[in-house]
Amino acid sequence: MNTVIAGITYRALLGRRRIWMLILLPAVLIGLAILLRSIDSADHRSVVLLMQNFAIGMMLPLLGLIAGTGVIAPEIDDGTITHLLSKPISRPVIVRTKFAVAVSLLALFAAVPTFVAAWLMVGFEADIAVGFAVGALAGGIAYAALFLALGVVTRHAVTIGITYALVWEGLVGNFVPGARRFSIQQWAQSVTDWLSTSERIDVETTLAFSLPALAIVTVVGVVWAGTRLSRFSFTGDE
Amino acid sequence: MSEPAPTGVIHDIGYRHYDGARHGRGYTIRALMLHSLRGVFGLGRTARSKIIPFVLFGVMMLPAVVSIATMALLQRNMITYSDYAIMMQVLLAIFVASQSPYLVAPDLRFRILPLYLSRPVTPRDYVAAKLGAMSIALAMLIAIPITAVFIGELVIDMPGPPNTSGYVGSMVSAVVYAVLLASLGVTISSFTPRRGLGVASVIGFYLLTSAVSGVLTGVLLSMSRDDEAAWAQLLNPFFLVNSAQTWITGESGAGLTPYPDGLGGPVSALAVLVLIVLSVTAMLARYRKAASA
Repeated sequence: MNTVIAGITYRALLGRRRIWMLILLPAVLIGLAILLRSIDSADHRSVVLLMQNFAIGMMLPLLGLIAGTGVIAPEIDDGTITHLLSKPISRPVIVRTKFAVAVSLLALFAAVPTFVAAWLMVGFEADIAVGFAVGALAGGIAYAALFLALGVVTRHAVTIGITYALVWEGLVGNFVPGARRFSIQQWAQSVTDWLSTSERIDVETTLAFSLPALAIVTVVGVVWAGTRLSRFSFTGDE
Repeated sequence: MSEPAPTGVIHDIGYRHYDGARHGRGYTIRALMLHSLRGVFGLGRTARSKIIPFVLFGVMMLPAVVSIATMALLQRNMITYSDYAIMMQVLLAIFVASQSPYLVAPDLRFRILPLYLSRPVTPRDYVAAKLGAMSIALAMLIAIPITAVFIGELVIDMPGPPNTSGYVGSMVSAVVYAVLLASLGVTISSFTPRRGLGVASVIGFYLLTSAVSGVLTGVLLSMSRDDEAAWAQLLNPFFLVNSAQTWITGESGAGLTPYPDGLGGPVSALAVLVLIVLSVTAMLARYRKAASA
């Protein structure tokens, strides 16, 4: 961990227009929670629908993408990464620092608003709020690692990441149940299912499969990004 | 008295006056539009940038191919023409999101815009060319698979008359989808010079509207407040166009729940127009500012 790099990364992410995306999505989530509460629809069914479709199904992958690729991809894109890489700092340490920044942003902008929205609707009933918040954090960590690695590997990280989240986890997962076993969203929800006592949450994967899967994606993502960055050539591929 | 020898010489280095035809502004706009349209599909760019548009185009064609096969083998048409864009909305959204930043972001990022604007191209021409290119690309993406199915239907000679009115209606709505999605996508991505952030913002807009619409519709349906659910569904831009289309053609809609009757149709059509006008106005304002800066 390197505090200077962490500081620079925070400034790059929070000081630009990216922050509006980071604020807008959680604000809409909390707004929807208040709206649903005001039309007397704050039951378990609604809260689970809101959490699964909006918080875990849409907001988490999108914020994971913005934070995960945003900590490193813009620097690679405009070449300012060379200033960082030419300093005597281990490149895996750079990756680990940027990963930690992405995770902290996801905790603040994804997990906390998820908890607040669920709590506004049902309070602490059946541990739904805590379950979804911890699930969002677990999924957010895995998404951050996966999208960070994508950002180092390819310049089309955002498009590929969104295609994975929408087409694989969304469309293919609806038709082919097997695809749901390899979905970060499902793993995150099995953490929720384990923490919460609500009957409304049903997931395909077991916790015994999901937790190792989340850990593997996270570790492989961070290590892979580190080794790719170690071999990053200043002079391009030719 | 001898005169001093001349010291200066004028060399003829061959500068010529341009005598050819001047094609004017219309030609410039068409040239810029064609260049942008090729770029949307990665033509004239690196091999890598062709992968994403052509893979998405291939996936758009898949249901059409499957449908032609089932018509030939089972004599059954699986696809309603007007539902095609709704069925493929995620892919269309990914296409708009991944390709519209390419149209505008590099010009802003590498400060190419002043070069365009130092020519007879005005900001309005530039906006028209970019929006036109994206609209044509999207219209092709929607219209080609539907046309393939229609040709298949004619060639296979299905029992009963061909669904010509459905086909014509879906062609018109393909243009409306294309113009609406292009205006929204290109306008949103013109506000950032960064491609990655542009992609994320455009897909974020689609996901936000479709998720809010999905959650509200689901909750309201479960409370048996069907009228409000029908209105909530229109928050998704694809269902908005589909609602206007069903109002005009009288076909059944492709949404989760029927669209609102009565005022629903005219309001949807008006909302589509307002969205297009608003985004084009915002984009024009953005480029006037960029031109004067």
